[in-house]
Amino acid sequence: MATTRSRPRFGAVVSGRVGWALLPIVATAAILAVLPSVWFGDSPYTTSLAVQALAFAAYGVGFNLIFGSTNQLFLCVGALAGVGGYGAAILTDETSLPMAAGVAVGTASAAIVGGLLSWIAVRRSLGVIFTGIVTLVFSLAFANLLLGQRDLTGAETGLVVTGAPARIGDDQVGGYYLFAGILVGFLVVFRVLQLSHVGWAFRALRDDEVAAELAGVDVSRYRIYAATLGSAMIGLTGALLAYSAGFISPTTYSFDRVDVRVLVLVAFGGLGTLLGPVIGAGVFAVLDEQLTASLELREVLYGVFVIAIFLGFRHGVVHAFVALSRRIARGWGGRPVEPDPPQDSRPEPPPVSG
Amino acid sequence: MRAVILDGIVLGLAFGLLGVGMTLVYGLGGVINLAYGQIVVLAAIVISLRMEDGWATVQAALVGVLAAAGVAVLLDQTLMRAVYRQHGEERTLMGLLLTLGAAFVIGGLLTWRYPAGALYINVTGEPVSILGVPMAVGSVWASVIALAVAAVLLLFFGGTTFGRGVRSVIQDETGARLVGISPSFVRTVIFALSGALAGIVAITQSMSGPLTVNAGFELTTFALIVTVVGGLGSVAGAFLAGVLLGVVNSLSAHYIGQYITTIILLGAAALTILIRPRGLLGR
Repeated sequence: MATTRSRPRFGAVVSGRVGWALLPIVATAAILAVLPSVWFGDSPYTTSLAVQALAFAAYGVGFNLIFGSTNQLFLCVGALAGVGGYGAAILTDETSLPMAAGVAVGTASAAIVGGLLSWIAVRRSLGVIFTGIVTLVFSLAFANLLLGQRDLTGAETGLVVTGAPARIGDDQVGGYYLFAGILVGFLVVFRVLQLSHVGWAFRALRDDEVAAELAGVDVSRYRIYAATLGSAMIGLTGALLAYSAGFISPTTYSFDRVDVRVLVLVAFGGLGTLLGPVIGAGVFAVLDEQLTASLELREVLYGVFVIAIFLGFRHGVVHAFVALSRRIARGWGGRPVEPDPPQDSRPEPPPVSG
Repeated sequence: MRAVILDGIVLGLAFGLLGVGMTLVYGLGGVINLAYGQIVVLAAIVISLRMEDGWATVQAALVGVLAAAGVAVLLDQTLMRAVYRQHGEERTLMGLLLTLGAAFVIGGLLTWRYPAGALYINVTGEPVSILGVPMAVGSVWASVIALAVAAVLLLFFGGTTFGRGVRSVIQDETGARLVGISPSFVRTVIFALSGALAGIVAITQSMSGPLTVNAGFELTTFALIVTVVGGLGSVAGAFLAGVLLGVVNSLSAHYIGQYITTIILLGAAALTILIRPRGLLGR
């Protein structure tokens, strides 16, 4: 630990050396690679659950890049994925272009939309909350647009997406490896950003925006970069999901199905951490499987989870784990660093009279 | 044309009433209560259960309003304690997420227990003619209640000592503390008031059509839009924004088409944030 003091600390799941920094990704990739053969190789049902979990982990990495790294609350993950998914589906539906073209166009449109939203937020210097409201409004408007443009989107009935080879279907092992592959790719991108000067800028502007600006970090530019790249990740996932599932409808990308879940699982895993979204997606996939009996009770449990996360361990399981392992590494010597005490513990003045 | 605008005003008063409960809490402590719609639904379910038991509508409605206020106080005493320990943007964000969790818990429990729950208060009577336009009795009653609530709230905040104390906390928490006003007490009272307003929303909304158990999210969304357009913590702003949006809504629904209308409303909210982030009558 002593030697790492003077040199840059890389990433959130920290280690002093670059090689070590890639270790969690290698480990994740290895686990994902062997999972089908040791667990669910022959069950299409379990495979489709795993594909869902991987897609949500991928959404989570994109959201984490936008919100976790640069503090822009994008409540439009579902809508951005929908821009990707519907963009790709409509393109291959109307023209005879191949799947790759559809995915490329879907990804690019999501990136442009996300970048534009970020540009607006930065230009009008909206805070976290107003960015959240503007993107929420965008989500709702997008959902209405899907329902309204019946000819193009098929409204509630949905849209059958053709043009994908059968082996990447969302209940096929091929589909599993496709999503595992892009997830690992996203993780590598995320880690490389953390290691580069961009990661420094992200951390600086997240900790203190004004100080970062004074230190020469172009806060606006990095915000727009992060939003564009994160939205591209979300759009790519959404587009691939459309092809893999072969069918999309507004509920595939609806706010309550996508955004709420992404928010919960990223918060659970740990905002801004590399593996947070992956761990969160895994835990919630298992949890969902245990709770198939009642959809409503699942919603209640989600609520309890959100409350517990933000009241209890606000920094997610990854940070809790890192803190614990540091304590163990230190041989239980010295007091661990405690979080700030509550700022407002003074007794309140007596209530107003009359 | 006259009928369309009048329709818009009726709808707008309902919007305003919906927004006012959220805007007060928002203005006071910077907390956006995302469980607001679910509290409205809770009140509606309580009222409908009482009415099924054969209670008179007025008594059932009273119990519903009290239940909503009770749940609001419960939220204030538990989750909001932790939220108010934070400051600035951190507080708003934490409030947003915790009330989102509360919204799931309340909404999930209600849909689980009463999947077909709905409240419809049928107000019978001949249509009333206003400016030559026949209006359904239910919507006239709803508008009268909304106007009465607006008047009472404006009198309360403008004319009473406690109301002025509330406004002082909205303007400057530290300053209010210095002159001996307890922000936490004021916030509890306003949270209870907001809950009671949610109960009244349940009553007025169900006068023109059934209010179903899964309407919570939509109600919260409209309340949020009205709050943002009207300005934080402004009672008059909420009603002004409500009426404006209501008129825009019915004009565009009549002349352009229903699905575009929602997008126009959402666009109006987005534009307000971008052009005038403080809202119409915000500070």
